[in-house]
Amino acid sequence: MLAYLSLELRRSLRDRRYLLLVVGWPVAAYLLFSTVFGSTADASEGLAPTVEIMVAMATFGAMGGVLMASGPRLAIDRQIGWVRQLRLTPLSPTRILAARLVAAMALSLPAIVLTFVTAAAVKGVTLPLWEWPALALLIAAGCLPFAAMGVLVGTIADGDGAQGLTMVLYLVLAALGGLWMPVQILPSALRTVANTLPSYHLAQLGWHVARGTGPALGDGLVLLAWFAGAALLAVAASRRLTLRAA
Amino acid sequence: MLTGFTTGDGGAPRTLWHMAQHLSTTGLPGSGDGADAVVLDAVTRSFGPVLAVDRLSLAVERGKTLALLGPNGAGKTTTISMLLGLTRPDSGSISVFGTPPGVAAARGMVGAMLQDGGMMPGVQVNELLSMTRRLYPAPLGLDEVVEVAQLRGIERRRVDRLSGGQSQRLRLAMALIGDPQLLILDEPTAAMDVETRRGFWHAMQGFTERGRTILFSTHYLDEADVAADRVVMMARGRVVADGTPSDIKDSVGLRVIRCALGAPGVTGLDALPGVVSATARGDRVELRCRDTDIALRALLAARPDAHDIEVSGVALEDAFIAITDGIAA
Repeated sequence: MLAYLSLELRRSLRDRRYLLLVVGWPVAAYLLFSTVFGSTADASEGLAPTVEIMVAMATFGAMGGVLMASGPRLAIDRQIGWVRQLRLTPLSPTRILAARLVAAMALSLPAIVLTFVTAAAVKGVTLPLWEWPALALLIAAGCLPFAAMGVLVGTIADGDGAQGLTMVLYLVLAALGGLWMPVQILPSALRTVANTLPSYHLAQLGWHVARGTGPALGDGLVLLAWFAGAALLAVAASRRLTLRAA
Repeated sequence: MLTGFTTGDGGAPRTLWHMAQHLSTTGLPGSGDGADAVVLDAVTRSFGPVLAVDRLSLAVERGKTLALLGPNGAGKTTTISMLLGLTRPDSGSISVFGTPPGVAAARGMVGAMLQDGGMMPGVQVNELLSMTRRLYPAPLGLDEVVEVAQLRGIERRRVDRLSGGQSQRLRLAMALIGDPQLLILDEPTAAMDVETRRGFWHAMQGFTERGRTILFSTHYLDEADVAADRVVMMARGRVVADGTPSDIKDSVGLRVIRCALGAPGVTGLDALPGVVSATARGDRVELRCRDTDIALRALLAARPDAHDIEVSGVALEDAFIAITDGIAA
């Protein structure tokens, strides 16, 4: 399983277009947003805008990395027959799935690290030393629901469909989750929706840590609930698929 | 063909020891140590209204090469898919080395080339092979597989940038790398050029010489003729002919006598010994024969006016059409 996992990782890191999208986008957006809004101090949050936006963009990039590495890739692998081929080997379906999830989760790290490095180098963001790795790992671990959502998308949609669906999911989760703008400026109906989204709660977790208050249990529970829901749906969808498989 | 519990000349085994002796030589169908690698018993599978496989019963003896022959839609791919545990039968039972399909594969005992088997995009041939190799308990050496599958020189190429023939060779390598007891090949030589195809069957011969079993489907009938010990023809999900390649040929008349006759008319010619059918083609007559030696002697005796005689073979393709036409009629 480790052999398969490491090959999964290797092929992702080789995909330049993928890296550009999931790393380049959040870093560029960070530079833009932190330059435009960098001077407007947000006293209510108690965080410097450069830090607040850094956490938001790292979350944004991490979520993108995980969604893109799970959904469209699984859909394509299914379409071209790699999933069928792999099922002929002694690697059990559970292990295949586990390897895919871990590989997808690991792909949140490039965006997180590069956003942090950019923030520190360009915008002079400073945090207590231990907070950098803690924050990075917390955001990466919090991407678990997105990995499950990706697997769900990759199971129900084919290649191009999965690509489109993932992109829509990505943008909706980012915009409504308050990663691009504070949810306070959303209309109240949308704000209610935002408060239920995993992207919102993952960003909240990060902001708590950056503020030095420690992660909140409630945010973690919401993320777990999203993971459980998406995972159950993905399992049900793949059962249905196997039953009518040719 | 189930081996069954036959006692032969020695009479019924009288003691447990005798029985054990007996079993160890003849094998017990369905058991792990049996003589059959694969047993299908009344297997049926349909897709919506389409009956793909219809009460198929078939046993494949260990160490043999069996060709599954049939037109598109005969149920070959569905049968293979069920043997691999990728598709479940609606009814009937399947065992592979005495275990349910899928279990044997999970133990690394089965290797397969699928028609729609794809390879992990974005990785190199040797990366994919060495990763897959590590999934099996007792795999072949990487170098050996590269050699046998004729992948030398393209090990570092990306798997999604291979030609059709190269991809097919990679599928073979993936099927062989676990050193399986049973190799299942779904139209393995499709997309291969003549040279590669020859190399392919040569490699397969080396494989069976080690006591391994091969089940392959093909529509290249000459391949079934050359490569298989036994040919099973399928049409509409059922077995329509089962035997050695020469059995199949004999049953339909695979040799032809063509001649001109002094007086026209083919009446009575199809009743000559060794002849399967007689047809007039212009001023010539065509006799399809199961044995041209016998038929020719009989023809000359019955019709001294026969001249311009030609004797030739007929492709297995024609035999195939004759049999499946018989089913359709």
